[in-house]
Amino acid sequence: MVRTVYSPEYCLQYLEQYASKEIFVIGLILGQTTSARENVIHLARTPDEKGSDSASEVSYSSDKTDLLKNLLSVSDAWVADHAKHVTRMLPGGMFVQGIFITSDEDIFDDPNHFSKVKSILNYMYKALNVDQYMYGNCPYSNERLVLHMSTNTKVLTCKTVEVGTANKTGLMKPVEWKFLPKAQQWQRLDCYYEFDEVYPVIVKKSGISVKHQFQQILESAHKTIESSVMFIDGELKDGSEALEQLIKKKKPKSAVTKTSQQEVPKSMHVSLFVPFENSLPETVEYLECDGSIHFSGVVSSSVFMCPKATISEAITAVKQDIIRSLASRFTMHCDALIDDNLLPEEKVCFNEPPRRVLVPVGSLYLCDYLFPGEAPAEALLSVRELLDLQITEADVVCDVETPADTSEFDALDRDASSEELLATPQEASQFMYITGICFAMFVLVVSILIHYYDSIVEVIGKLLSRT
Amino acid sequence: MSPRLKISSYVIERLSKINTDDTIGCLYGLMYDGTLLVVGLSIESFESEKNTYNQLLLNLPGEVELCGVIKFGEHLTMESKLKEILQDVDITDNPLVIIINEKKDMKAHFLVHDKFEETKYEVLEASDLCKQFLHVRLNTVLPLSCEATLTGVKNILQSKRKKIASGQVSFHIDRTSVYLFGEAADVGLTGTSVEATIGELVDSMSPEQPSKKKKLPANHVEVVPVNLVLKTTKDLLSDKLVKTAVKMMTTQRKPAFCISMPLRVDTLAMIHRSTKLLDLYTVLVEASCRSLRLLESVLIEQLGQEGIGDGAGLRLPETFHFLPQELGHFITRVVPKGIPDESMETERQALHEQLALPTNKPIFRRGNAYADQSGGRLVNPHEAIPPPPFKPDVTVALVRGKYTYHHYMQDNFNDDGWGCAYRSMQTIFSWFRYQGYTTVAVPSHKEIQQCLVKIGDKPSSFVGSKQWIGSTEVMFCLETLLGVQSRIIFANSGSELQSYAPELVHHFQTHGSPIMIGGGVLAHTILGVEYNSVTNEIRYLILDPHYTGAEDLAVVISKGWCGWKNSDFWNKTAHYNLCLPQTKPAI
Repeated sequence: MVRTVYSPEYCLQYLEQYASKEIFVIGLILGQTTSARENVIHLARTPDEKGSDSASEVSYSSDKTDLLKNLLSVSDAWVADHAKHVTRMLPGGMFVQGIFITSDEDIFDDPNHFSKVKSILNYMYKALNVDQYMYGNCPYSNERLVLHMSTNTKVLTCKTVEVGTANKTGLMKPVEWKFLPKAQQWQRLDCYYEFDEVYPVIVKKSGISVKHQFQQILESAHKTIESSVMFIDGELKDGSEALEQLIKKKKPKSAVTKTSQQEVPKSMHVSLFVPFENSLPETVEYLECDGSIHFSGVVSSSVFMCPKATISEAITAVKQDIIRSLASRFTMHCDALIDDNLLPEEKVCFNEPPRRVLVPVGSLYLCDYLFPGEAPAEALLSVRELLDLQITEADVVCDVETPADTSEFDALDRDASSEELLATPQEASQFMYITGICFAMFVLVVSILIHYYDSIVEVIGKLLSRT
Repeated sequence: MSPRLKISSYVIERLSKINTDDTIGCLYGLMYDGTLLVVGLSIESFESEKNTYNQLLLNLPGEVELCGVIKFGEHLTMESKLKEILQDVDITDNPLVIIINEKKDMKAHFLVHDKFEETKYEVLEASDLCKQFLHVRLNTVLPLSCEATLTGVKNILQSKRKKIASGQVSFHIDRTSVYLFGEAADVGLTGTSVEATIGELVDSMSPEQPSKKKKLPANHVEVVPVNLVLKTTKDLLSDKLVKTAVKMMTTQRKPAFCISMPLRVDTLAMIHRSTKLLDLYTVLVEASCRSLRLLESVLIEQLGQEGIGDGAGLRLPETFHFLPQELGHFITRVVPKGIPDESMETERQALHEQLALPTNKPIFRRGNAYADQSGGRLVNPHEAIPPPPFKPDVTVALVRGKYTYHHYMQDNFNDDGWGCAYRSMQTIFSWFRYQGYTTVAVPSHKEIQQCLVKIGDKPSSFVGSKQWIGSTEVMFCLETLLGVQSRIIFANSGSELQSYAPELVHHFQTHGSPIMIGGGVLAHTILGVEYNSVTNEIRYLILDPHYTGAEDLAVVISKGWCGWKNSDFWNKTAHYNLCLPQTKPAI
């Protein structure tokens, strides 16, 4: 049977819009694969590469000046980087499913072009596999979609290419791509996963690596969440049942009337129960510790599933979502850190990774992360750059999580153990502290420039005239 | 209105045997369906602070609470100590006061508005106790890490108890889809109907036929395993929902010693079968908290000891449940891992005295613990045989306590035709294990042979051979491996064996251990005798190690592999020798 992919109709307009301008465009296909159905949720154009200097750390520019590009000149790493960033924005159960290309070449027939396509996909596959906790690659299939619209004929072709195999030939299979006139329905599943763990650590002189701590937290959270039992609306469900069965069961009366069928199904509440760790060594460990780590707060999770998906697919998606979100925050936080070493200089140190906000895409929500002090407008930027979408500030749902109140933390800390502290808690988070200094420096430089503007101009003028 | 009163037959039996100088005892019981059931008692000596009823409560199953006092003497007076204890009775507004005089006349009173009202009581027989009540056993591991100080331990355990009592935890009944959870102030249940009782659930869990169920020993104690799960998601609809995003705070402190350990919570609660599953939530929370208190007391005691005051030598607390046949209810003890039973004798002595238990045999050693150590073997198959009917002049004396049935072909080891005495020895060995005398594992044939070679009884070629052993070899091995002495009886013929009947009766009455008998080419285990002192008729309860079949109780009983045999079971012309393992008084 030919693989069938369902896509919202606006994706067709999206492709046509680029194809009619007769320009080369490459982008990502985002979607969800379940055993029952394969849905595409969005197409996102990969931003143009800014320059050769920005290889890994991406800062996307919005100016679209250099249009003279073709497939062969695309950097594999650049597209893979785009996929990595977009994956952070996807809820669990959603993946980068492949790439789309609008060009005037026949990318499937021309061996040069086709090998480039394979190379892009394989590079992406490898890049997404680096961090297992990001769940970058869809675990259900190693076949990635390649959607091509010819700028000449406007003909749409879709095929799959196998990735991650030693076999370099890359099997190609046809795919039926269907546009849906009506919006796809989604079943939303919500939960707030809570962390509250205190554990002793040895700081000594060497200090503690934030990255390392986060990695450990992530590992243990992954283990815990994998072992957890999930309830939907307070009940344990049969994993093989389809989600839509639950909806039907829930309202047997109203389901008869036609109006209710058009209603957006209500969100399902998910709760997770974890059994206590049983694999600890059966001994008392005895250590000299000089510090403790308190990891607390919530990860809000909103997952969108095709109603035909099974309960166990939904459960897997929720679990993925929590871990992926945790991993995304930690990565973003650590990337922004100037000094990874926490202590020993500071006696109390506060690490506040960015928090999750939801951004609407079509009929569902993807997410973004805001650093402390960042406004929702920051999310508009990443949505525009990474998803090629225009949304307004009001569209951003920023109350799914709230930023930490540092004063609350200080109180909590004083409460926990008072006089043993060697120093008073530092007021602000390390990140805010650094941001503050940077901003102050910037202001200083600008004011110097303004103040000495005349003399600087004079000096430069002299220098120029000398040559 | 004062509740109806039932007293377990165990309590009546124990009360009739207590001769004490102490004047006061405590009663423990549980409430169900408007009835107060007294299940246990203790003697209050007021000698040390450690062995008080408050401390003992922690050793009792959940739901069993202090319910009254016993006064030994003639007169019912309100002494200050009695009053003090009665004030601690929470389970009922009308505490129970039982008075028992030297002639063992017993009267029960409820204290109603500071006045004693004599009340009738019903005796609940042991078999009914087992039928009507069951135990839920909660098992979980709480990761514990804290500063190695008294306050550190106390604080962390208090916070664990708070967490468990806060409704955050849920309980899962093993092998079912039944979960019990605390939602805010409410209790929720999933996987079954809200009206379901624990008894119904247990019945639905065992798929076997009712006919097969009858094969269970009469005093079968039903234990329902439960585990604990922690809700890690917040209630979306709660108005107290705090949505602060995840953050990490690192605090540096003065260096201090910390301990971390997996704290195993293993706790029991005793409940009536008609208890609603919904009500089980609070029962389990209470039982967990009781267990945490018991664990805490053991940790604190260790930390208080010299040498390990800083926590370096702290040992993991291990929980053991005991079901002494004299008590009829569970006693849970927590002991530090790796501390030998021998060095904890004083504590056990105190517990024996507090519970008015005999002080001549071990009851609370690790080996006595209520646990499945049978390894798939049949435990006490003879209990499935109806006891011989009571006849005047006839004495029946049986093995006392548990043993496992060892026979040919077990452990994937073919010893058909030569290993019967080894198997009989293993049965005896298992008895000593079950009675708590030892924690040494039951030896294999090879280990028995090695033991005999080591003591010079046999040449080294004996190891790995298929040579038989007799009762003297069994005696040597018991002596070497367990330090158990045995008496050997030689009988020149099967008929001469009869004359030793009174000795066998005496053996079972005083020692209660299984006897190995060898004669001709066969070895058997004697589990009991029935002796008619007038006619000199004797029957033997035999456990036959020559059985080669599967561990099927029905077959073992119906085919007579375990059963009563007349004296013609023995070969009239063969020599017989018996090994009677002797016990020493111990605690």
